[in-house]
Amino acid sequence: MKIQDIMNSKVVSISPDATTKEAARMMHDLHIGSLTVMEDDQLVGIITDRDICCKVTATGRDADVTKVNEIMSTEVTTCYDDQALGEAASLMAENHIRRLAVLKRDNSIAGFLSVDDLARSSHDLASSVLEATSPRH
Amino acid sequence: MKVHEIMTTQVESVSPTTSLRRAAQKMSDLNIGSLPIIDDGQLLGIITDRDISCHAIAMGHDPNSTEVQKVMTRDVNTCFDDQDITDAARLMSRQHIRRLAVLNHDNKVTGFLSVDDLARCSHDLAGTVLESATPTH
Repeated sequence: MKIQDIMNSKVVSISPDATTKEAARMMHDLHIGSLTVMEDDQLVGIITDRDICCKVTATGRDADVTKVNEIMSTEVTTCYDDQALGEAASLMAENHIRRLAVLKRDNSIAGFLSVDDLARSSHDLASSVLEATSPRH
Repeated sequence: MKVHEIMTTQVESVSPTTSLRRAAQKMSDLNIGSLPIIDDGQLLGIITDRDISCHAIAMGHDPNSTEVQKVMTRDVNTCFDDQDITDAARLMSRQHIRRLAVLNHDNKVTGFLSVDDLARCSHDLAGTVLESATPTH
């Protein structure tokens, strides 16, 4: 089975110039935990609800003025949509993450693959990712 | 196997009057995503990194003056430390959650059980919980 068979192809994006408050509001309204930051159709970063908590609120910054591009992660771990699920699980485990951005071979964004998606095809692959990534209680 | 054999017993907590900013700092420093709100040994609620960004920052609450008790989730799903882990996994699946507060029979918090803890002893139990958890794409 390939990544494209089980990935989530819904990509919700935001501009790097949006405020982090706007990003938080969007995640709230859409019931999602991360947004893809796109500029000129290119993936330039990822911002999560946790980024806003830890890099804006915890540090005393103002979410009304702090821009998405000031706190987003620019090092996004990616895989290709025609790769095998085992390769995706290994990438997650090695990088201690639970979600990958999925690209097509022309490097355009195709979707996301999470450990939850893996669980729907293989309990063993998903659990091996959980074991390898650090616990967050 | 019983819940107390695999749960995480180190429980960091905050008081109900802690500011959101202080709670965010604590989650950031400890690399954790949630904190229980405990008063006199009793569990009053849980606050997560997502609660802070999506339910407080998104709505324009001031993190310096807003107390965690205003944003916390009061209905916390719990299990007892002498319950079987299969029962705990079933409860997580049914409630679409990934973590339970663990109580002793005096109703004091003794730890937390997460899907990560489950993965260390049963890939199938953890996989089943992930499959039914709310998607966080």
